[in-house]
Amino acid sequence: MKMVLEARQVSKIFGGLVAVNKVDLIVPEGSIASIIGPNGAGKTTLFNCISGFYTPEIGDVLFNGRKIQGMLTDKVAAMGIARTYQNIRLFKNMSAVENVMVGFEPHLKHGWMTAMLKTPDYQKEQKYVINEASRLLHYVGLAGLGDNLALNLPYGAQRRLEIARALANQPKLLLLDEPTAGMNPQETDEMKDFICHIRDDLGITIILIEHDMRVVMNISDQISVLDYGQKIAEGNPKEIQANPRVIEAYLGPGAAALSEKYRREKTHDA
Amino acid sequence: MNKQSLQKSAGSGLVFGIIVIFLALIGFTVVFSGLIQKVLGQSLGVGQIPSISNFFIFLGFLGIWNGWRASRQDKHETLTLAKVLMRAAVAGLSAGVLVMLYGFVVGGLDARGTDMRKYLSMLSSDSIKFFLFNQSLVLGGLIHVGFSTLMALVGGLLAFGSERSQQQVRTNRTKIQKWSQSTWLGKVQGNPYVTYVLMGIVLLLLVLLPRTWGAYWNYVMGTVGIYVLLGLGLNIIVGLSGQLVLGYVAFFAIGAYTFALTTSPEPHNLVWNFWIALAVSVVAAALSGILIGLPILRLRGDYLAIVTLGFGEIIRILLKSDILKDFTMGPRGVRNIAGPTLFGRSFTSDVDFMYLIILAVLLSIFLAKRWQESSIGRAWLAISQDETVAQATGVDTQKYKLLALSLGAAFAGLGGALFASRNQFTGPEDHALMVSINVLVLVIVGGMGSIPGVVLGAFTLKGLPEILRELESYRLLVFGALLVVMMIIRPEGLWPARRPKLEVPVGQDNEPVPLPATAGGEK
Repeated sequence: MKMVLEARQVSKIFGGLVAVNKVDLIVPEGSIASIIGPNGAGKTTLFNCISGFYTPEIGDVLFNGRKIQGMLTDKVAAMGIARTYQNIRLFKNMSAVENVMVGFEPHLKHGWMTAMLKTPDYQKEQKYVINEASRLLHYVGLAGLGDNLALNLPYGAQRRLEIARALANQPKLLLLDEPTAGMNPQETDEMKDFICHIRDDLGITIILIEHDMRVVMNISDQISVLDYGQKIAEGNPKEIQANPRVIEAYLGPGAAALSEKYRREKTHDA
Repeated sequence: MNKQSLQKSAGSGLVFGIIVIFLALIGFTVVFSGLIQKVLGQSLGVGQIPSISNFFIFLGFLGIWNGWRASRQDKHETLTLAKVLMRAAVAGLSAGVLVMLYGFVVGGLDARGTDMRKYLSMLSSDSIKFFLFNQSLVLGGLIHVGFSTLMALVGGLLAFGSERSQQQVRTNRTKIQKWSQSTWLGKVQGNPYVTYVLMGIVLLLLVLLPRTWGAYWNYVMGTVGIYVLLGLGLNIIVGLSGQLVLGYVAFFAIGAYTFALTTSPEPHNLVWNFWIALAVSVVAAALSGILIGLPILRLRGDYLAIVTLGFGEIIRILLKSDILKDFTMGPRGVRNIAGPTLFGRSFTSDVDFMYLIILAVLLSIFLAKRWQESSIGRAWLAISQDETVAQATGVDTQKYKLLALSLGAAFAGLGGALFASRNQFTGPEDHALMVSINVLVLVIVGGMGSIPGVVLGAFTLKGLPEILRELESYRLLVFGALLVVMMIIRPEGLWPARRPKLEVPVGQDNEPVPLPATAGGEK
């Protein structure tokens, strides 16, 4: 199987704090990989290393076999890595459809001259962008809301708009940072289905940071667990659920033994 | 009737009393009453005290405002007549009593023969008598109290009435909307021909006015036009791409000096054709935008503001210095700059030049609009709202920031060249920091990122002070007050930018538009 992303021994150090410590991450094409871990485990830092926000001090990040660390984020985006943000970061005072239109930027060829003269090619390109942006809004379920300012949209719609903007980049790898944060169970379910759709319809590989275990265990092909910047476990949902180190990372030392005891008692009772 | 709201009314009344006293102390009461007299069509000699009736009008305005303010304390409460009258009366009384006390003090001192002009130059014996309506001390004071209360009551009633009518409007809104749509008003709105007719009228005015309103107004409006050019440029840099550049005058200076040095017989004797020199100035300014932009690309916010502020000053000081004296004539400035010529005919009259500026402004508005509404404009806006995210979304921020700087600088270069050509002179002091500040203020006052806002802002900032010239030395005070009032009433600017409606409906029959050959794919 072809690997879309390979992170080898990635480390990111802030002063004395090792936020990400020698993490390996290999994501096969067309899969949904989740990164979980307690707060402050270094999940978002790892995302930032992949999307070019940070340059890791040690280690390589390979996208489709090409090294991308140290590249500017706009070049990374043009290569095909798009992302969303933990705290929604839209262009608030632009309309929703404009937000998506900005996402097409790395694939457009216009310049100040063509924009000034409104050449036929430029007009064609603009028409294409408006049309595609509207279709993307329709795809994420925001049809008809495109002319509202982004800041006026409800919370769930803002999350979807962020994904639409990321999809406008025409990415091969999509990084979603807590896409269901702050959503109610129904919205969470919808988002879960939507993420699967993105993978199945568009063939985009997805890496997910998520705290909601129902989402993670349901849709992930592969789960990596970070704690204190280190990867402590990796595997499919079943393996992760049974892994004592993961349970201890979340619930504290000794928790794994307790949980084992609890399970035995339960089976004993039955 | 609760005590708190009455206390509030009394407080607001006292503030108005203080305002009246302050205006009297600086002699503004006399000047403004004089202005009212002039507006009403009566003549007034220089140094003459206007008639008392105009003072009543002046006080009346303030009194009504006082009553209006005092009676509307909370947006959400429903007003009753008793409440309103009580509050207005309290506010009017407290303002009036304060003013009366002031009248006693200055009137008493004046009666004892103290010459107040030693301390406050505007406080002549005449103006004090004028303040007391040429009556005795006690009577004048009582008139102040009575009139202030009366006017406050009128203001309160007005506030009450407007509140009521607004409620009516709110309940009848849909009715009114239907009515306005059914009449000609609704048909006129949204009709493209109406826009064309309006544009035609504006064009006709632009053609006719320079011929009719004389050299003075041509000069004033020419300045306004040049500031519109500067505003359009800075609007791209600050309003759209969000880079707070405070040294914008540097580009203005580069445009002006390039034009000056290439057309003046001194110091280089390069007497170039006007139009070539104009184009070269614009290009020189645009290139300087890139040159200045390169080192400051990484800076944001306050740091960018301070560094660019420095650039502006460096250019001015260089022009003034001895180092470049042989090249730019130093502090003397460049003289005998050429005016425009066309087909061998030179046209340097004020009317011709006004036409030239109008043409330049129209062209610039057209270009700025094209850029602003294009993908480039969207990329700039994205950068101004969140530069980090814009870059991660694939916007080449460095390219677009440089583009904004050089295009913005090109407008300034055009403005500078026209400025130098019109004055036939340019010196270092034409390019002081105040120009940058003025242009920035006009962009903010007009509304960031809005082209009509820039035009309005330029008229407000450069035209209004000329219109206010009647107020003599008080014009800057009034001007400042107007700006403050405006920022309270319309904090987003006179004509804020609106986002265009772009979304197209998506349905079954809406097939994806094929990608044009130039777009899409890997870069």
